[in-house]
This record gives sequence, structure tokens and C-alpha cells, in this order.
Amino acid sequence: MKPIFALCLFVLLTTAVQAGEIAYTVRATELKAKPYADAETLLSLTEHGKVEILSRQASWMQVKADGTTGWVKMLSLRLGNAEVPKKSGDSGLGALFNVATTGNSGSTVTTGVRGLSEENLKKAHPNPEALKVMQGFAVSKQDASGFAKAGKLKSQHMDYLPPPGKGGN
Amino acid sequence: MRFPILLLTLLGFVAPVAAFDFGNLNLGQILQNAQKATTDISEPQEIELGDGIASNFLGAAPLLQDQRIQKYVNDVGRWLTLQTERPDLPWQFAVLDDNDINAFAVPGGRIFITKGLLVRMKSEAELAGVLAHEISHVLMKHHLQAIKKGARTELMAEFGGQVLQQNGSNPALAKLVSAGTEVYTRGLDKNDEFEADRMGVVIAARGGYDPYGLPAILQTLQGINPQDSSVALMFKTHPALADRLDLLDKLMPGAFDSFETQPSLAPRFMAVMSRQNR
Repeated sequence: MKPIFALCLFVLLTTAVQAGEIAYTVRATELKAKPYADAETLLSLTEHGKVEILSRQASWMQVKADGTTGWVKMLSLRLGNAEVPKKSGDSGLGALFNVATTGNSGSTVTTGVRGLSEENLKKAHPNPEALKVMQGFAVSKQDASGFAKAGKLKSQHMDYLPPPGKGGN
Repeated sequence: MRFPILLLTLLGFVAPVAAFDFGNLNLGQILQNAQKATTDISEPQEIELGDGIASNFLGAAPLLQDQRIQKYVNDVGRWLTLQTERPDLPWQFAVLDDNDINAFAVPGGRIFITKGLLVRMKSEAELAGVLAHEISHVLMKHHLQAIKKGARTELMAEFGGQVLQQNGSNPALAKLVSAGTEVYTRGLDKNDEFEADRMGVVIAARGGYDPYGLPAILQTLQGINPQDSSVALMFKTHPALADRLDLLDKLMPGAFDSFETQPSLAPRFMAVMSRQNR
């Protein structure tokens, strides 16, 4: 019973992520066997360690690191190359990232003018007909509540949070 | 945020004793002035100004011709607004048929999201996270304040003092709409964006969603080449993704643990989206 329930929960909560997305750790972190803080630790990942993202479950990402599949906190990860620490003389991973960086950002094909570019927004003419159509999209409170119920969404109480690190903490 | 909270506390404290006089500091007068400063644009005027800006957005990019997706985005968005302090605004949501990656909120409760951003998402929780961020801008009147800051005082006074006219022949309004549209090409103060992130994850959690949808889509956007023209305007008008994620990284652990098992509704999201790519 229990494993089946756990499996169902997993299927319900896990969001597949495009395979092959590469991320790196922003701090030393542990690769867990399951998406729980007290799960078994499979590997210790160092800061700036490279992982491949497989899926997400709430605050946990399923990743592959050094051939081992496990879970890390999603906010310990950053994607892309823009945030790669720009320390020069990095060896190992740093060098790997440099390769990835050049590969990704070499030459960009800029595609003509797009609708919502800065220039187009500045010279846009009003479109009241389209605004009327948009107003017709409005959903009533009752319909929105029915939609939420169909998705098993339940209202929760939570206060807004103050900015972190200002007074207290 | 602190100042309004202090004001509210004062209001609650002072209300029963009208115009309490602390020496030569007249609290009643101070409160009256503070109230005037926030109410010189009425809610109907806020909506009217937003209408004008929304109309401009729709002049720059067409609506996505897909009723099912438009309805779905409105269902998600409207449900989120019911979790907020302004549930009775005329909230409407629209997907723009545009490959740029962006989302916009205009004063009074009209919210736009581009097709380019929508197709990067993987779950309803991610959509909810983005919409909740935009909803927060409307709740806090961020754009309205930015427009006020940029406009001449006389223009604001002219607009504020004007009784709403049926056929929109309000010259002050026209000027403010055009100034207002330009605010979206410059962007808000960074702190307004951080505030919308902070509030957005809470509103998503209140709506019963997996609250990590917003950081998840922000992470996905990190994977896009920042030189790509589809992200040019969004990157120009928002704080760096790394800074936004760092904020959520400090904010969310612990505080959101009890919402960890709320659904992200990826299957429902994918079912709606996959019909589009038939």
C-alpha cells in the first residue's frame, strides 16, 4: 500500500523538466536519494558543481550528478551560463563552463522586429476592439472557484513575508 | 512596506479620537493628508488609465486566437485574485500572440502574458507563479505610482480632479496613457519587482498551488541566452534573474515547507497546451 501511495504522489507532484538542462550548484549541497531533507545522502556536491536536471517536485530537483541520480534543493541550483562565477584561472569545472559559455553565446541570430519590442510599444496605436475581446475573457468568481475545485486546489492562509535579512534573522 | 503598516496602526489607534493633538503635531491632519495622497486617483480612474494602456499593448501585439487557452489562463488568474485584497477589480487576463518572453500588468487588473513565455512553462504552478507576480503589481499599484512619479503634478491633478466622462474626451487621460505605456519600456524600481516576487509566491501558496512555480520558471529563463532578442525587454526592465532567485532562496526555505505537497497541475497544463500545437 505505502509504496503505491508514494508512487502515486510522485506521479502527481513531479513535473518533468526538459531533459538535458544543465545547472550548477551555488553552494555545497547534498545529493539525496529522495526529495526529503532526512533522506539518505548519496553524494556531497561541491559549490559550482555541474548537474543535469531531470524533473522537479516542489522545492526539490531530481538531477544526475557524476552519473548518480538523486535530489537536491532547487534553489541551490542556477541554470544557464550568465551566472557562472567569473573567476579567472578556474580549473576543472571552470574550464568546462567556459566551453559551455562559448558554445552557447557565440553568435546570436537576431530575428527582426518583434511585436513587443521597446520601439513597437512606444509607437503602438490603441486597439479598443481587441480590448473588448479581452474583456469578454473575464471569468466569474464562481467559475474560478469551480475550476480550482476541479484541480483539487484548496485556499490556504498565509501572510505576506517581509524582505529577508532586514532586521531579525 | 513599513510605512503603510505604521500608518494603518496609527489609523486604528487614532480613529476613535478624531484629530488628536500631540502638541503642535496634529495626527488627524497628517493622516488626512496621507490618505489624500493615495486617493487622489480613484479606483475607476485607475481602471480607466489601465484600459488605455491595455489598448496600446493590444495595438502592439495581437491576442492569441485560441479560446481554450485564453479561458484557461483567465481561470487560473481569476482564482488567484480571489486570494488577494482586491478581489473585486475587473480582472482579465490575455495571452498575446508574440514570441517575446514577457508578462505585463496594467493598473486596475488587466494582465498580459506572451505566448513566448507560456510555451516555456511546464506546469500550472509556473503559470500561477507568473500571474501572481503580475497581480501583485496591481495590488500594490506599482505602475500607477511610477506614472505619478513621472508625470507633472498639474497633469495628475487635472486627471484626478476630472469627473469620469462617458466618451473618454479627457486630454489629461490621453497624456497619462501615453506616459504610462512608456513606463513599461523603462521598467519599475527593482524593489517593486522583488516585492512582486515575494508576494507572488505567497499568493500562489494561498491558491493551493505548489509555490515553487515562480522560481522554477525563473530558473528556466536563466537557461536562455541573454543575448536573444526575445528576452531583451524583460531583461532590461527587471532585476537579474540570479538576484531574483537569490531573494527567493533566502525567503522560501522553512516558510513554505507546509505547502510542499500542494499540486503543480502539470498534467492539466500540458493537456491545454498540447491542443495548441496540434
